[in-house]
Amino acid sequence: MGYSLTMNLKRHWVGYAWAIGASAACTFVGLVLYPRFDLVNVAMVYLLAVVIIALRFSRGPAIAASVLCVAAFDFVFVPPRGTFTVDDIQYLLTFAIMLAVGLIISRLVKSVRRQAAAQAALEIEAETERIRSTLLASISHDLRTPLAVMAGASSSLAESGERLSAAERQALAKSVFDQAQEMSEHVAKVLQMTRLETGAIKVDRDWASLSEIVGAVLARLGERMAAHRVIVELPDDLPLVRVDATLIEQVLGNLLENSAKHTPQGTVVRVRAQRRGEEVVVTVQDYSAGLSDRDLERVFAKFHRGSVEGAGSGMGLGLAICRAIVRLHGGQTWAERVPGGGTAFRFTLPLEEAPSAPLELASN
Amino acid sequence: MAEPRPAILIVEDEPEIRRFLRAAFGVEGYRVVESTTGRRGSIDAGTHKPDLAIVDLALPDVDGIEVIRRIREWSPMPIIVLSARVQERSKIEALDAGANDYVTKPFGVGELLARVRAALRHAVRSPSGTSILRFGNTVVDLEKRTAVRDGEEIRLTPIEFRLLAMLAKHLGMVVTHRHLLTVVWGPTHAKDTHYLRIYMKQLRDKLEIDPVRPRHLLTETGIGYRLVLDE
Repeated sequence: MGYSLTMNLKRHWVGYAWAIGASAACTFVGLVLYPRFDLVNVAMVYLLAVVIIALRFSRGPAIAASVLCVAAFDFVFVPPRGTFTVDDIQYLLTFAIMLAVGLIISRLVKSVRRQAAAQAALEIEAETERIRSTLLASISHDLRTPLAVMAGASSSLAESGERLSAAERQALAKSVFDQAQEMSEHVAKVLQMTRLETGAIKVDRDWASLSEIVGAVLARLGERMAAHRVIVELPDDLPLVRVDATLIEQVLGNLLENSAKHTPQGTVVRVRAQRRGEEVVVTVQDYSAGLSDRDLERVFAKFHRGSVEGAGSGMGLGLAICRAIVRLHGGQTWAERVPGGGTAFRFTLPLEEAPSAPLELASN
Repeated sequence: MAEPRPAILIVEDEPEIRRFLRAAFGVEGYRVVESTTGRRGSIDAGTHKPDLAIVDLALPDVDGIEVIRRIREWSPMPIIVLSARVQERSKIEALDAGANDYVTKPFGVGELLARVRAALRHAVRSPSGTSILRFGNTVVDLEKRTAVRDGEEIRLTPIEFRLLAMLAKHLGMVVTHRHLLTVVWGPTHAKDTHYLRIYMKQLRDKLEIDPVRPRHLLTETGIGYRLVLDE
């Protein structure tokens, strides 16, 4: 609230400053024109200024511009010059017209702006509605399975725990834990997408090392990547990036999970990063069957699940989150087929001049 | 093991969470004191003098961070914070306010117990921490300032030693970027995170078998680093 108010005030003052500047500029131009042109043409210059101010700013600055221009025109050019008195009645008409033009244009602009805002609001509302319904559908679809497992396994434990063998009890308890974690991941993704959608995420940039982020994400995913062979190929001189490391870790995590989910166990998943001019390209490449052209284009879109339904769970949010986060960092995401089979999911991060650490003499 | 059982204070408003914590700590032989509000927790910390406190960050009355501050006014007891994933920022705040470590909800009990053990170990150790660190095939002696990998001496710079010593002082626990930067490079460099990135890479290159997948010098993304040695 306070912020938008000060913004408004600031905008306002900018408008008035422009009004003053414009009338002063017109007076200057008028002084140049005056010896050679008719007074009517000098008035036209002022009129132009009023029109421009009315188009760019609100009503207040438009009125201010009209009044200032009329006053300046009167004082500087209309005989007797150097006074506000008017000899010829026709100039009163000039003044009236200038003021009217200013008012009419500022009103027109206002109504156009209002219409545009209303239109934009409608579009946002429709989009929000679409997201909300898809979100609800996917939540109910993807949360029901883990919930069913948790209810079933935990009730078995509660009702007939003592009749189960220790191994069975442990297996049931473990499945409750695993499903709960899976569900927590789902919910976290839904929340994250919502926060990204509503702009509630603040990108907290700091210097980060991609190899560190890769290491952290592999440690975090642990078991979920255990069935695949992850090969990390990062050049030793990869520059630091200025990013929100927590968010970029999510991007890498989602890409790796996505690859693990859609490729057979035991296959290789590669993580690469390369400098390419003023950006770094990060790639997660798997040996999946290869996506169709349509899937390649749409894979990062919200709630896209790939053509094969049901193979793995996941709400199709992971890659959409990747795209949103990378976009917030000023990078791009895309997928491409790799010659010889497989898919490369890539994203870029812009590079900035990295500061250096103080040199240590004892360093070797 | 004639020592009295260590007492754990749990400041948490959710009864279901207290229930499984009580069960898990009970099985491990800890004594448990429970507080359901922040105010109560600050008082219980004073009256029960537990060996360690577990504080939920989202309490109904006062902020968990406030509870940490109040305990820190008079006690160095280890404090472990329970936080939800969305509270990245408050995790750092809690650590800066004096918490020793954190666990993100939802968590497995194993993870929490490991943190508790590390924190309790830290509390009974000498203030200088451990001076001999073993990383797989590498041994670092912080006191003599030597490092040996597979029988061959490797050189660590003074800053690398200081960084390692700081992490070792909080062995098994997270140390925030700010804390490390302030201690190793000084308060004017508290925000120069890139120093850490560069020096941690050097340390990993020298000490880890696979620097990209470190097993000892662990990254807590967005928060800090944690040194873990082979148990």
